[in-house]
Amino acid sequence: MSMATTVTKAETLVGRRLRRKEDPRLITGTATYVDDIQMPGMHYAAILRSPHAAARIRSLNVQPALDHPGVAAVFTGADVAGVGPVPCGASLPGLRVPAHSVLARDRVYFVGHPVAVVVATDRYVAADALDLIEVEYQPLPAVANPEKALEPGAPAVHPEWPDNLAFTYHQEGGEPDRAFAEADVVVRQRIISQRLIPTAMETRGVVADYRGAEKSLTIYSSTQIPHLMRSLVAQMLGLAENRLRVITPEVGGGFGSKLNVYAEEALMGFVAMKIGKPVKWIESRRENFQCTIHGRGHVDYYEIAARKDGAVLGLRLKLIQDLGAYHQLLTPAIPTLSVLMMPGLYKFRNVSADILGVFTNCVPTDAYRGAGRPEATHGVERMMDLLAAELRMDPAELRLLNFIGADEFPYATATGLSYDSGNYAEPLKKALDLVDYHRLREQQQQAKASGRLVGIGISTYGEICAFGPSPATPAGGWESATVKIEPSGAVTVMTGASPHGQGEETTFAQIAADELGVPIEDVIVVHGDTAIVQYGIGTFGSRGTAVGGPAVYYALQDLKAKILKFGELLLESSDVTFSGGVCTCNRTGKTVTLAQIAAASYRAMKLPPNTEPGLVATHFWEPPNFAFPFGAHIVVSEVDPETGQVEIKRYVAVDDCGKIINPLLVDGQVHGGVVQGLGQALFEQAVYDQDGQLVTGELMDYAVPKATMVPWIESDHTTTPSPVNPLGVKGVGEAGTIGCSPAVVNSVVDALGHLGVRHLDMPLTPEKLWKLIQAGGQA
Amino acid sequence: MKVAGEYLLAAAPDRAYDLLQDPEVLARCMPGCDHLARTGPDEYEMRMKMVISSIQGLFAGKVSIADQDRPAGFRLVVEGNGKVGFMRGDGLLTLVPQPGGTEVRYEGEVRVGGMIAGVGQRLLDTTAKMIIKRFFSKLAAQVDGASSSGAGA
Repeated sequence: MSMATTVTKAETLVGRRLRRKEDPRLITGTATYVDDIQMPGMHYAAILRSPHAAARIRSLNVQPALDHPGVAAVFTGADVAGVGPVPCGASLPGLRVPAHSVLARDRVYFVGHPVAVVVATDRYVAADALDLIEVEYQPLPAVANPEKALEPGAPAVHPEWPDNLAFTYHQEGGEPDRAFAEADVVVRQRIISQRLIPTAMETRGVVADYRGAEKSLTIYSSTQIPHLMRSLVAQMLGLAENRLRVITPEVGGGFGSKLNVYAEEALMGFVAMKIGKPVKWIESRRENFQCTIHGRGHVDYYEIAARKDGAVLGLRLKLIQDLGAYHQLLTPAIPTLSVLMMPGLYKFRNVSADILGVFTNCVPTDAYRGAGRPEATHGVERMMDLLAAELRMDPAELRLLNFIGADEFPYATATGLSYDSGNYAEPLKKALDLVDYHRLREQQQQAKASGRLVGIGISTYGEICAFGPSPATPAGGWESATVKIEPSGAVTVMTGASPHGQGEETTFAQIAADELGVPIEDVIVVHGDTAIVQYGIGTFGSRGTAVGGPAVYYALQDLKAKILKFGELLLESSDVTFSGGVCTCNRTGKTVTLAQIAAASYRAMKLPPNTEPGLVATHFWEPPNFAFPFGAHIVVSEVDPETGQVEIKRYVAVDDCGKIINPLLVDGQVHGGVVQGLGQALFEQAVYDQDGQLVTGELMDYAVPKATMVPWIESDHTTTPSPVNPLGVKGVGEAGTIGCSPAVVNSVVDALGHLGVRHLDMPLTPEKLWKLIQAGGQA
Repeated sequence: MKVAGEYLLAAAPDRAYDLLQDPEVLARCMPGCDHLARTGPDEYEMRMKMVISSIQGLFAGKVSIADQDRPAGFRLVVEGNGKVGFMRGDGLLTLVPQPGGTEVRYEGEVRVGGMIAGVGQRLLDTTAKMIIKRFFSKLAAQVDGASSSGAGA
């Protein structure tokens, strides 16, 4: 059959393993981070921080610092009385919110609490002058452990609330009491999800520049949320929002720790307005450990109820959340995410959860990669293994028996969520095949018979991401995009999400290039400047692609409709198709290119009816639901009985994040996520001593995984598109972290099970395991 | 952090008791101490340099003595502040007569804060043991020196 014209299906860019457009500047050292910004007349700030976890400030004398050559100004709590409090964006019924001044007033509440700021013409002078400030502290009793903080007579973190309770929160679904009464088996376990330090490669940093004549302030900050920061910092400083511009240069990692508004942003704005000069503050690593939020910090008491045949009936949780001394932006909301996701992938119809949000004399906890979901997954996945052990069932079989069925979506959970789509058995079966599970179990038996401590650990996770419908989020859950086609035909995408390593400069360009039929090189993606980009929410909670992506997609659809109108005008035809970057008249075969259309739209000699000149479209996309990715991770580990060292022999991750726009970037996210999960499982723990001193105060004492400590990660996927958005995508930024830690711990418990070990709390350090093995499994 | 131990001094309890409260002797024996002066009954001010892990700094503070029970023992409280943090030590010294002299038993608790806690805590235990050991060995040299000069008189 012959046709007049040959129609070839253009190969799409979406789905292809493309290298990132971001990488050339990152790997050639030409990217601009906050600390790379230099301005004429720039001053430097250093912050004096409390060495005490709790103390009254008896006296404060800054004069010696002021007298130091090169020091321009010193500000204390009394000076910043007009600056609004550090904001908490989360609200819960009855939540106690301590007044959180940007500098301490008469009392300090944690080690690292900012007390004064020194501004000097030189960074080193500013740091040296800190030592000249005379502070007389009256130390007070402190409490750094959330369970101790709940004991009667414990030191009160905030004297007005002697019980140290910031809030309690109860949620239940179904009939948990009945489920537990009718159960054949009930298994209980206390499970700790230890405090972690997010440790972004780039610490925080702020540059503030005030132009008095224009009454306008520009803040450069290493943040995940430029627009929200503008709104909140403008409020703190009493500025009209249009007088504040927030610019996010390159961000060297955030992981939730930069999903926040800290004291320092408003403080630097205040300083710049006071001294009339630009000012820069760059956080040191030690400050980063002491003053940037920590993650996790749970003590969880789980109970699981089941029938003899393994069918799960109910789940109960008492969750003690270590909040730290204050609420940062989302602090109290994080444990509620754990409760929402506590049923995991299983048919728990009866659940009950109580959260005790506890103040301690520590730096606040808040969102850290996974934010509440790693804790929930770790809990339910440990409990499933404990139940399997109790019932002498295979942990894989127990999971397959209890999964929500592929035909049950959308699935209403007992915690009030609607899981969008899923096929939970598929990734587990794929992972089991990849490791050749039955043969692996035989090999394990042989290894164990010869005295080797080999274990197999399974974790199947589900996560809530793509935050989220606006009614369910603190600040609006939509995302925005503007697509502009310049008169030359070049395409600019402006996203309100503020990517910082997720690679959306590449993935959004793939989407735009496909929709417009132009080469990817013709598309640039702009973000992170509130003066250029329309209002947006930001990048966190695996939402960049899943919420920001559809906004780009819909802006492109609006634009395509307009392109078609101009195509019809120029081709003088009502039968026109736009495809492959050209409008074609279906009757005559005449074509007009996108560049020609763009030029005509701006030249505007003629306009289509009811059509404005130019090719610009903006779309604010409100998601109808969250998206729920899932997956299965299997770990084979071996413990060295002589040293207690855990060696990960195999790591298999099968993740389902819906449709994949760029497999290379998804692999990168899985790898990075797994590494951070390994950090929690094996190495990392933020330790405060009994007086509230942060003992793990620097990278010498806080063990983040290094390249040599990371195993080969075998990554594979299943694809269950999300019905929530037109791209079918879900989100994968946190999946690796969420799936990892229970798989590792389950494998090590399996390796030591014959010694009677049924549970281990993280991190699984050689010291902990060696002692346990020496004691014959008795903790 | 708890510290405890004992050290045998070749001096009778009364003499050991005096040495342990003599500002000049203590200033000479305390590693890093460059100033120790009496400011009142049983009260002294002190300045000493401490090195822990990668950090070092000057501590200024006060030493006070309580529960004097000559020559059986006394309580020693040391408080210091510096650019690198603060420390507070509270200990009980017990002097037990022995055939060769006096056994000084010590038992107490040291608390640190600020940078030395965040950076040096892991090495604090060994550092404290080292400081105590050096202190007593220097003190022992004082005893020997004093007794030899005494013998020569």
